[in-house]
Amino acid sequence: MTRFVQALIDGSLVGLVYGLIALSFVVIYRASQIVNLAQGEVLVIGALFVWTFTIGTPLAGVKLPLPVGILLALAACVVLGLLLERLVFRPLIGQPAFAIFMASIALLVMLRGLAQLIWTAETRPFPQVLPSGAFEIGPFLFSTRLLIGGAFTVALTLALHAFFTQSRHGLRLAAVAEDHNTALSLGVSVRSAIAIAWILGAIVATFGAIVLLSGRIVSLEVASIGFKALPVALLGGLESVRGAPLAGILIGVGEALAMTYLDPLTSGVASNVLPFAVMIAVLLIRPQGLFGWKKIERL
Amino acid sequence: MLPAGVHFDTYGSEAALLKTTRARVAVAALIVALLALPLTAGAYLHGVATQAFITLIAVLGLHVTVGMAGQINIAQSAFVGVGAFATAKLAGYGLPFWVIIPAAALITGAVSVLFALPAARVKGFYLALTTLAAQVLFPIVILGLPSDWLGGLVGMPVDPLVVFGYPVASPIAFYYFTFALALVMTLAAFNLHRSRFGRALKAVRDNDVAAEVMGINVLRLKLSAFFTGSMFAGVAGACTAWFIQFVTAESFTLFASVWFLGMLIVGGLQHPIGAILGVLFITVLQEGLHESATAIMRGTHDMGGAIFAATNVALGACILLALIFEPRGLVHRWMVLKNTLQLWPFPPR
Repeated sequence: MTRFVQALIDGSLVGLVYGLIALSFVVIYRASQIVNLAQGEVLVIGALFVWTFTIGTPLAGVKLPLPVGILLALAACVVLGLLLERLVFRPLIGQPAFAIFMASIALLVMLRGLAQLIWTAETRPFPQVLPSGAFEIGPFLFSTRLLIGGAFTVALTLALHAFFTQSRHGLRLAAVAEDHNTALSLGVSVRSAIAIAWILGAIVATFGAIVLLSGRIVSLEVASIGFKALPVALLGGLESVRGAPLAGILIGVGEALAMTYLDPLTSGVASNVLPFAVMIAVLLIRPQGLFGWKKIERL
Repeated sequence: MLPAGVHFDTYGSEAALLKTTRARVAVAALIVALLALPLTAGAYLHGVATQAFITLIAVLGLHVTVGMAGQINIAQSAFVGVGAFATAKLAGYGLPFWVIIPAAALITGAVSVLFALPAARVKGFYLALTTLAAQVLFPIVILGLPSDWLGGLVGMPVDPLVVFGYPVASPIAFYYFTFALALVMTLAAFNLHRSRFGRALKAVRDNDVAAEVMGINVLRLKLSAFFTGSMFAGVAGACTAWFIQFVTAESFTLFASVWFLGMLIVGGLQHPIGAILGVLFITVLQEGLHESATAIMRGTHDMGGAIFAATNVALGACILLALIFEPRGLVHRWMVLKNTLQLWPFPPR
């Protein structure tokens, strides 16, 4: 029983991290109708920005306080988002969804290559942004880092949800997520929507990197977390900001339970396969996810 | 477009792949040149060419799934891997090659249909996500299975290829083997375009609702599109297995899948010549980068990694440039060039 509850706790906390990264998929989709497969690479680049401005600069002789370093990293994310919009996605506005999807696949290899060329493939320590360690309540163990990260995820979700559903600007983005040409004909700037989408996406991914990696090591292989968060985003619904952390908890708990009870029998396969099995099941049963928009097609 | 004055008397000559004597001579010359290549060029060059033939088979399969049927597949490398592991396993039982290659193709096709099933409910990039699941799951499953099944973490050695009692041991003999297979598969891809199945695929790509109204079973067709495209991947996998003689799950990565797709996009999605041009262009680019990087960075450590990274950047840039500036691919430019030459001295259309 203790093992079961501990698996639930661990699963929910890890699931909230997945939720945070899934949120970065959702904000991009919700504002621009782009499913960005390269989100894992964006996360790694965000993490490497944080490394550069917190550990890298002292090595070069400039010492910055940690919060300033993180702010600079986020500013670098804004620049990255603007560059991606200007160079890649602005020329593709109005192109079929196929071309835009392919562009995100091209970005996947390109960003990975750029990260490796600029920062090389070696592993690096990630700064201790959130406190490490764990505390106990009764027989159960809570990771401090993941708990703070989880609280942050919930707060960020509520804030982003308010932005997308309450603010005038956020509502305009919904039009872009529906259809680029319709949005253009309504006078909504698709360019600025895509720029906002990528800036938000890069920033949220960097937050995800901070929660995931704080006090650990960053390497290019971390990008595979992006593929783990994709099933979460699909389960929650690609348009649903609030669905992402909820689906994250569901998949996190499922994964933790599979890890506890099934992995010993299947030599570790079950927990790795689970998110993707869920993804295929979601696509077969309820393609719009739990809280996504149901697309109605007409002849 | 055909040169002025060419006309046909029979349906057969109208539907022929090579309509004019000039085209037949050109293709014959190309085949002779490729047959002569290993006799004149060094081992390095025909090694690259062998790899390019294998890649061409896989990319032609993608051309069927993505280019003709419009279904995005980002797991072609995993499907090549399925074919390679099937070959390794079947060759271990001592089966002849003419059983192994079709069997590997059928097994790969069957696996791909498993991941194409969500086509019943979703389309577009959602379907691409299930192929992404196939690509990510491939190494997990191979490594998770008992190691006496598919080699697990270590991988599997492949028994050498034997063709009708003659072992294909030398690289030159293997070059001819892959060349023959690539020729057959290219012919198959060209032929698909003039079959009912091929026309149905294109109808589904252009408008699946309209295709359904015209009496095409769209779901079955999408599944067959994956099945057919993956059969090409299975054949490419069989060649890969015999080429590298040792298969591991790590050889078949997402990056390879993206490279296959990239070749197809750069070359042009909608015509088999696009696959050929794309493989040619990216292979030359890759080898060129490799050569120049080796010259520039002699002695630097982690050179292989940096070259891999630079190749990825170049390939990503090529895909983006193709998408933005020439979505029809190199094949369109090739056709424009050909038409201009054929109509000369009249101005091109």
